[in-house]
Amino acid sequence: MKQRAVWPAILVAALVLGGCGSASGTRSSPGGSDAKLVVWDWKSGEPTAAQYIEKAKADFARKHPGVTVEFVAQPHDQYYTLLGTAIQSGKGPDVILFNGGGQIRDRVDALLPLDEYVAEDRQRLAGWDAFTKDGKTYAGPVTLQGHPIYYNRSLYEKAGLDPAKPAATWPEFVANCAAITKRTGTKCFALGNKEGIGIQFFLSAFGSGVLTPQEYDAWIAGKRDWTSPHVKRIFALWKETQDAKLNSDGPNSTAMFNDAFALFQSAKASHVIGLMSDIGHWKDFGEFLTADKVGVMRAPVVVPGATPSLPFDGGIGYGVARWTRDPKLAADLVRSLTSTDALTAFHTQAGAIAADTTIDVSQGGPAVTTIVADLASGKPALHVALSSRTLDLMGRVSQQLLSGSITVDEAVRQLAASDQAG
Amino acid sequence: MTSVRPVVAGRTDRARHQRPALPGAAARRGRGARRSERLAPYVLLAPAVLVIVLLRLWPLLLGVNFSFTGDGDRDGTMVGLDNYRELLADPLFRGALRNVGLLVLLLPVAVAIPGLLATFIYLRVPGHRFYRSVYFFPAVLSPVIVGAIFNLLLAFDGPLNTVLGGVGIGPTDWLGDPDVAMFVVVGVHIWATFGMALVVFLAGFATLDASLLDAARVDGASLPQTIRHVIVPSLSRTIQFVFVTTMIGMLTSMFGLLYVMTSGGPEGSTYLPEYYIWIQQGQMNRPALASAASTVLFVVMLVVGLLQISLLRRGVREA
Repeated sequence: MKQRAVWPAILVAALVLGGCGSASGTRSSPGGSDAKLVVWDWKSGEPTAAQYIEKAKADFARKHPGVTVEFVAQPHDQYYTLLGTAIQSGKGPDVILFNGGGQIRDRVDALLPLDEYVAEDRQRLAGWDAFTKDGKTYAGPVTLQGHPIYYNRSLYEKAGLDPAKPAATWPEFVANCAAITKRTGTKCFALGNKEGIGIQFFLSAFGSGVLTPQEYDAWIAGKRDWTSPHVKRIFALWKETQDAKLNSDGPNSTAMFNDAFALFQSAKASHVIGLMSDIGHWKDFGEFLTADKVGVMRAPVVVPGATPSLPFDGGIGYGVARWTRDPKLAADLVRSLTSTDALTAFHTQAGAIAADTTIDVSQGGPAVTTIVADLASGKPALHVALSSRTLDLMGRVSQQLLSGSITVDEAVRQLAASDQAG
Repeated sequence: MTSVRPVVAGRTDRARHQRPALPGAAARRGRGARRSERLAPYVLLAPAVLVIVLLRLWPLLLGVNFSFTGDGDRDGTMVGLDNYRELLADPLFRGALRNVGLLVLLLPVAVAIPGLLATFIYLRVPGHRFYRSVYFFPAVLSPVIVGAIFNLLLAFDGPLNTVLGGVGIGPTDWLGDPDVAMFVVVGVHIWATFGMALVVFLAGFATLDASLLDAARVDGASLPQTIRHVIVPSLSRTIQFVFVTTMIGMLTSMFGLLYVMTSGGPEGSTYLPEYYIWIQQGQMNRPALASAASTVLFVVMLVVGLLQISLLRRGVREA
């Protein structure tokens, strides 16, 4: 035994000593060549994005004939892992798709500021804030992402409620839920919090019905007062919805994508906090719930004085890697990918709310009309302002709140500590 | 090495006796030949050593080296033991290490199940051929498929809870209850992987001296006595092997199941170091911290593996 233990001990010692060497991480290798641009995303492989990519490619080819553009569609669940490896090695794609908020802000070291290239698009496109850090813009927005509260108009009708007039206050909302459950046997919320995403949606969807407008703006500006009774109220509300059995069963083991949305579209729950792009939105429900059966409502007022608004930011957007050889060329590709023609195709095919405010969305149905009308008074989503670490922690404490193993005060204390640590 | 040395030594001895008889150039030629013969084993070993050093130890060394650097703003700079300090202060990582301890405790169960079933198959219970193939079947399934199947079976409104409800037992949130979820995932992992250990046990049984069993039978030993006094000591090497490989499998191959079944939840209760490493690297963009966690996992596995071997050897000796 002694001899056997000696060799591994020597190996570990050698490894630890070896660890005292210099740091690694060079980032000077170039990606692509002058005649070729490589794009990484998780969209270009999807049938609903085919026309969008074609239009963008055609626009770019017109401006830069002779430059090849190669789209590499990566699996979404592995995307940031693969991208992390590429960034670490300093080699990778020239143009990169990002989710807005923390995912791009955490990686701006690897990106070029695009402000000088996209000045002309400033007015036409919305959602820039989600791709901005320290006053510099790192991506051109493709879609807007928001968290509207969708409801099933048929269930409202069956329960004798007017689907054109969803609840404006929390007590009214709870009463409506009780009526729907009593008449139809369906739950009020389709909730999936297995990955801790449910709380992010809940915080952003209901936050504007709880915080005062001043508190809301301060939160987005980074001045978050976690000791505020209104902030605590949001997390208490999260727990109340569970205790009052408004949620679908077993939320801590139900995945938001696609399980929770499946509950909503199969009419086993009357409401779901959904998205405006990707999946879990009005068009995605269409297989079972046609566009005219999907309603959208603003958050009910929980605390008097709150002014409910649609929470939204830039959804996804393309950025340019720092190591690209010709930044202007890559930025031009970003501009083609955010051109009106391309984004119109994306909206029509995928149903996403595109970042281009000049697109005609009148054919999308009542839910889209309502969402687009709400954009003008909308505000950035509360959860997008938080760091990835705090969001990860929030997922876990939200599960503890649902199972009753932690108090609201303790949850808020932990989140405050994480938020203040950055 | 032991098989090579005597040959070299023997030839050297013979050469020494012959040396005075070799004059001038012939002696030089002889020395050259002797040197090449002495070097031959090392040359033959070189490819294997190179592969091990370049493709195994060097990446390991790079990983450890990387764990002493920073993330984010401190990327590329040395930060000493900061990552390790952060790991120790992180309740999530401490929870993951506690779960490693739980796996070690559950290890005997994971080994006993294939061991017992292999014993029954070896003792030719009726239908043993059928059982052998059925037990092995889950081993060919991908963890993602296994996870998806059990996600359906164990869902809150799934068939298992429906059956339990039918007999008056209230529903359990198998994958949503932090006190239950880890045991469920480990149970599914054992279900999915014990077939491989069973095959190893059956291979071990193939080397078992049948006359010992016959003697035990003639002496009137019961089944438990036969297992304890004949089968276990005879299969000590196989049991050791299965213990170590099962432990390594539990620590490094449960990612797929965890990812699909619980995503580390609920409340972080099913985190294992491997899952933690993935989250830090991929989701939190903290590759250096992930490297530190990888190094800790490597050391833990080394220590646990060596302890197991030493304990098992002592146990077998005492038996």
